[in-house]
Amino acid sequence: MSPPTGYNSDTQMVAPVTHDDGIPMVTSSSPTAEHPPLTVDERVLPPNFYDDYLSDTAKRYLPSPIRKVIPLSRIPGILSVFAGLPAPETFPFQQLTMTVSHPDTANRHKSTTLSLEGDVLTDALQYSETGGIPRFVDWLCGLQERYHGRKPEGEGWTLSVGCGSQDVLSKAFTSLLDEGDSVLVEAPVYAGVIPIFALLKCHAAEVCTDASGILADDLEHVLQNWPKDKRRPKLLYTAPYGCNPTGASATLERRLKVLQLARKHNFLILEDDPYFYLYYGDTPRPPSYFQLEKEIAGPIGHVVRFDSFSKILSSGMRLGFVSGPTPIVNAINLVTSSSTLQPSSFSQAVAYSLLSHWGYDGFQQHVDHVAGVYRRKRDLFAAAMRRHLEGLAEWATPEAGMFVWFKLLLPPVPGSDEGDSEDVIVRRALKEKVLALPGTSFFTNGRTSAYVRASFSVLPEEQFDEAMRRLAAIVKDVREEAGRGTGSDLGVNVSRV
Amino acid sequence: MSSNISAPKLAIPASLDRDEQIVEAVSASPMRKEYRTQKPNDNILPSAYYDRYLSATAKQCLPSPFPKALSLSRTPGMLSMSSGLPAPETFPFRGLSVTVSRPDTANRHESSQLEFGGDLLEEALQGSNTGGLPKFVDWLYGLQERYHRRRHDAEEEWSLSVGCGVQDLLSKAFTCLLNEGDSVLVEVPVYPGVIPNFRLLQCHIAEVTTDAEGVVIEDLERVLRTWPKHISMPKFLYTVPYGCNPTGASATLERRLRVLELAREFNFLILEDDPYFYLYYGGSPRPPSYFQLEKETPGSVGHVMRFDSFSKILSSGEYESHFNPPPTRDALIAVLGLRLGFVSGPTPIVAAMNRITSSSTVQPPGLTQAVTYALLNHWGYDGFQQHVDHIASVYSRKRDLFISAMQRHLTGLAEWSIPEAGMFVWFKLLLPPARGSDEGDSEDLIVRRALKENVLALPGTSFFTNGRASAYVRASFSVLPEEHFDEAMRRLAAVVREVRLEGGKSIGYGSTRRVTSRNEPGQHLRLTHHSLFGLFSLIICFPLAYIMTSHYNLVSPLG
Repeated sequence: MSPPTGYNSDTQMVAPVTHDDGIPMVTSSSPTAEHPPLTVDERVLPPNFYDDYLSDTAKRYLPSPIRKVIPLSRIPGILSVFAGLPAPETFPFQQLTMTVSHPDTANRHKSTTLSLEGDVLTDALQYSETGGIPRFVDWLCGLQERYHGRKPEGEGWTLSVGCGSQDVLSKAFTSLLDEGDSVLVEAPVYAGVIPIFALLKCHAAEVCTDASGILADDLEHVLQNWPKDKRRPKLLYTAPYGCNPTGASATLERRLKVLQLARKHNFLILEDDPYFYLYYGDTPRPPSYFQLEKEIAGPIGHVVRFDSFSKILSSGMRLGFVSGPTPIVNAINLVTSSSTLQPSSFSQAVAYSLLSHWGYDGFQQHVDHVAGVYRRKRDLFAAAMRRHLEGLAEWATPEAGMFVWFKLLLPPVPGSDEGDSEDVIVRRALKEKVLALPGTSFFTNGRTSAYVRASFSVLPEEQFDEAMRRLAAIVKDVREEAGRGTGSDLGVNVSRV
Repeated sequence: MSSNISAPKLAIPASLDRDEQIVEAVSASPMRKEYRTQKPNDNILPSAYYDRYLSATAKQCLPSPFPKALSLSRTPGMLSMSSGLPAPETFPFRGLSVTVSRPDTANRHESSQLEFGGDLLEEALQGSNTGGLPKFVDWLYGLQERYHRRRHDAEEEWSLSVGCGVQDLLSKAFTCLLNEGDSVLVEVPVYPGVIPNFRLLQCHIAEVTTDAEGVVIEDLERVLRTWPKHISMPKFLYTVPYGCNPTGASATLERRLRVLELAREFNFLILEDDPYFYLYYGGSPRPPSYFQLEKETPGSVGHVMRFDSFSKILSSGEYESHFNPPPTRDALIAVLGLRLGFVSGPTPIVAAMNRITSSSTVQPPGLTQAVTYALLNHWGYDGFQQHVDHIASVYSRKRDLFISAMQRHLTGLAEWSIPEAGMFVWFKLLLPPARGSDEGDSEDLIVRRALKENVLALPGTSFFTNGRASAYVRASFSVLPEEHFDEAMRRLAAVVREVRLEGGKSIGYGSTRRVTSRNEPGQHLRLTHHSLFGLFSLIICFPLAYIMTSHYNLVSPLG
């Protein structure tokens, strides 16, 4: 899908926001002669704004004593016996070539061979830093400008590459959260972050979502009724496009409301957006939070954005990147300097030589193609669902990503009036050789759920129909058993043994 | 074991038939009683033993909910919609090929091209196991069997896991082992990359002295036997037993056996960080690793966690920017950072590390694993042996040249031991006393004066946990072109002479120091950093313009 063409903030502007002693505030008034609209520069939150957000852990990190001295060895003419680097002539790799497809759908069958050599690469690898190869980072900053209208200059943000976006996310949580801190998470939530919150001993407050994203009313309710004995939430974790597991993409209206609340209550928005480029909805895509915070009057610097190449280049390559307020990204880099040191420059060089070969237009063609593939799969999968699950389940059709989240219409069980999909999936469906993930995995408290997450990315398309047929047969069985008057006993019989 | 071991160097060359070597060495040695186990002992520590070592974090870290579903999805005939993996047909990569040199010295100039696609590429591009690509991991198990005689089977409760470089694995191991307030033993001087990790985890660090033969046993024993009651006993010893960074020292067999004995007596683990293992070029056969020794000496097995790295033998990529003059284009390809390392150790600890991985890095990058595996599998274990033999000989030659340059210029001005592995020489400058150190302080000399003379080494203070003043200097002879060795030593010698002269003229060497008080407890680290900041101001006033505008294609004024 094409990049957002610039959201017209004049006509849809929500309440403008002004500073008051550095504290961002939502007001209902429009800019006036005495209060002209602030420039982007003036709206950027100052670095010390983040002092209260950074965790004690982040503050304890020390830069590696050696790493700090590196620039000295770049002094021309210096005879350095300083670097603990191995002798490059002993290494066996001489050349790397790769065959890659053309980016566009029409010429997809054609291939190009790229060689990891040449001046571009020589330049690119001259320096390699904690946050990624500078040339690659520059290319990614250009990508953020193209897709989110954000430039690193004068906007107070920095980009850093990590070993996959889960790596960067985990480092961001480490940099932001102390034991006892609170976070807002959309529920259901990407299950991969639940162990991290548990590990950091945080209080995770769930915010309900539906097919249009976070329920702004529920978010407001949670914030207004925040328990006195808990710390105010530092951040909201959300996956706004093709959310894992719900498949939901947040609408513009919801995004604006969430951003407004973030500014009012001073929490950060951690925008985990691996499915951004897998948007295939019919209408133009809503802008990212990262874009909106710049386009909507008010302070800039509440959004930390996480991008991933896992869904569009290769999941095994493990490259992701974070774009966010510089003090937070610096803290993430410090965590890196004591752990992974830097993402593999090999992976970066492979990705960079492909991306710089394609250019931004080629990249656009590629992601259009990828979104087209998922759209076709979605269509086929949704058709199979309609054929078999009509009347047995409820769902919303996703407009991005690879997941359908559907509620099985099951008899009630103890603890859930809506029934429990876990037993259906784990015991029965497994026996019938069909596997999906039960909804319970996606709640921070592991509560009973009638929902199921199905992914249509890797199952061969010709098996969509059979998979849905098998699932439907099981749901029918369970419903029939309940209908035979065993009533709630059914729940007891089928509950986890 | 008796405590008065006085054995000559006893060692096993990795390249030779090791059974034969051991028998020979043991029969010729007064150590025979202590070190003769031919049948690996089977006194494996049970899983429950590690409960006392695992940190609260390791115990809390929940496994990711996905792997279970993933394993179910491999059931034959299963129609799985459970995997969140992307559609592989959308990935743009179709094939990869690497050109690599022959492993042996004689045919080094020849190269072969390895192409891979199909299953290996698919596995590389899509997600794989937390601990590494299965084929790659199997190859590495074979490597550990060959070099450390540790077999991976049901009886041996150890596992291997690949990570995003050794530092990544070390950091995960520390996280899995250390609670706030726990204690660790570190050899000093120590590889400084681990110090921020210990500070971060708020541990108590106990230093153990080392010399040219490794950890000084009397000191380790003293530290352990006089351990303060109010501090918890150390959970592990962190040591770099071959070509130690910074000292260049390789621990002798005798020292290793005594350290192992103490580890068993005091129940601490040995974290054997061994990136220079394959860079051993000593005159006598190499001593076995701790990982091997614990299996081959009587006593319990399961105290050793071994960390191996490819950074020194296949590709580094850690700090490419260090190269000055810059590497050629070919060399750049060579140093593309793979960032791959692997840990071998007790299964409960490795499993805890994998749980941390599943919430952070997820897995080491697939492409780099596949490329590495393609190369290693192509060479085979014998080819790998030829390759590391070649590398060791390159470092051996560099060492010889560097040491002779030192002898020419620094005799009488410095003291050193000759390294038998790795890339570092650690030498003590013979300086006039400075405040806080009767032996003088190399930091000012290196940071201010040597820099002005265009020669750079690392002052010893960086390698002490408390950043104390030190007369030592670490020099690395790996990347400076050999033809500059002499000039570098000449410049350094001139600086030392100058300082000694000033000291002789009693111009209070201490007065040239920016940092005057180094003795206040708790101040050391901060002061070190102040010094580093001072150092940065130097860069700013002195060569900033040049750095900013420099193109590495410029011919260095000295080259």
